[in-house]
Amino acid sequence: MHELSLAMEVIALAQREAAKNKVIAIREIVIEVGDLSGVEADAFQSALELLVRDTILEEALINLTRTPGKGKCSACNMEFEMNMRLDTCPKCGCFPSEISGGQEFRLVSMLG
Amino acid sequence: MCETCGCGNPDEFKIHDHKNDHDHDHDHNHDHDHQHNHTHGHDHGHEHTHDGHTHAHPHKHDSSKVINLNMDILSENNRLAERNRGYFQGKHVLTLNLVSSPGSGKTTILEKTILDLIPSHKIFVIEGDQQTTRDADRIEKSGAPAIQINTGSGCHLDAKMIHLALQKMEVENHAILFIENVGNLVCPALFDLGEQKRVVVISVTEGDDKPMKYPYMFQSSHLCIINKTDLLPYVDFNVERAINYARQLNPNLEFILMSAKTGEGMAEWYKWLEERMTNDQ
Repeated sequence: MHELSLAMEVIALAQREAAKNKVIAIREIVIEVGDLSGVEADAFQSALELLVRDTILEEALINLTRTPGKGKCSACNMEFEMNMRLDTCPKCGCFPSEISGGQEFRLVSMLG
Repeated sequence: MCETCGCGNPDEFKIHDHKNDHDHDHDHNHDHDHQHNHTHGHDHGHEHTHDGHTHAHPHKHDSSKVINLNMDILSENNRLAERNRGYFQGKHVLTLNLVSSPGSGKTTILEKTILDLIPSHKIFVIEGDQQTTRDADRIEKSGAPAIQINTGSGCHLDAKMIHLALQKMEVENHAILFIENVGNLVCPALFDLGEQKRVVVISVTEGDDKPMKYPYMFQSSHLCIINKTDLLPYVDFNVERAINYARQLNPNLEFILMSAKTGEGMAEWYKWLEERMTNDQ
């Protein structure tokens, strides 16, 4: 449910940055959501679509890019794709692994 | 006088961008390159004298504009959280963010803590709930000033809410501030409030696999209180298994077994608080 407040945050950021850049309407917004960021990408997209009405993002194409989770084994240093935080190392089976990617939740760019 | 170069008179000059009318001459006798990769209107009325040089103006006049941001969406919350943290540090206030599922016993732990510590400590509480002031009322009855934040439809507290609450409640120096977050093991994990330590509370009436189900919260916490231990004989909760699960996620997590009802573990909790306070001084 925090996706709703995150969507509000994105709209506020977009409005602020658009004003700074003297842009009055956004055609496309690119947002990166890591698979291990704690943000549910689909729920976030729905929330954003719901909230953009009467905002600078109303006509914008919402372009969500997903970044896969990456882990690094604390025992053998093997890097592997991590779908869940509790995944064990596929090589040695050890746990825990350090999360080395997929925690991003970023506003990448906008096209005005 | 022009604020930048010292020319002109004050009434004619306000802001030094190219939209202003400049009534002065520039001699451009130097060689330079302009790189204009931004768009702007040429509606200014000043004259350029170009003596013996040409330069290209590769202006883009179509209306599209790419704004590169690469900005952490939580950065505004994180910025406000750091401000809160600085405020707490400056006042030597130990601030704890208490998170849990609904019904784990956070408010009862706080009531008991306040009753036991208020004679010797200054304690303040910020209560977060979607609706009602019931928790703040309970806390105030225990003897500590409390302020209630109702998040309405929101599922968590954020740094801005704490910042605003602090403007309404003056927290004394060298106090302990407990922030009781909205009962929810998912969303509050993402929102730094500016606390020094995060305390996650689970009760033995919940499943002992809770840490595995809500890993973000257990990974971001410093202390885990396992509450309602007086009920252990009647439930299937395996304390060792719960601790193992949580330690797999967060090897540095500390644990206190507690029953706010019988008082078990309260002394250990107070010792933990004292150590955090001493570290801060």
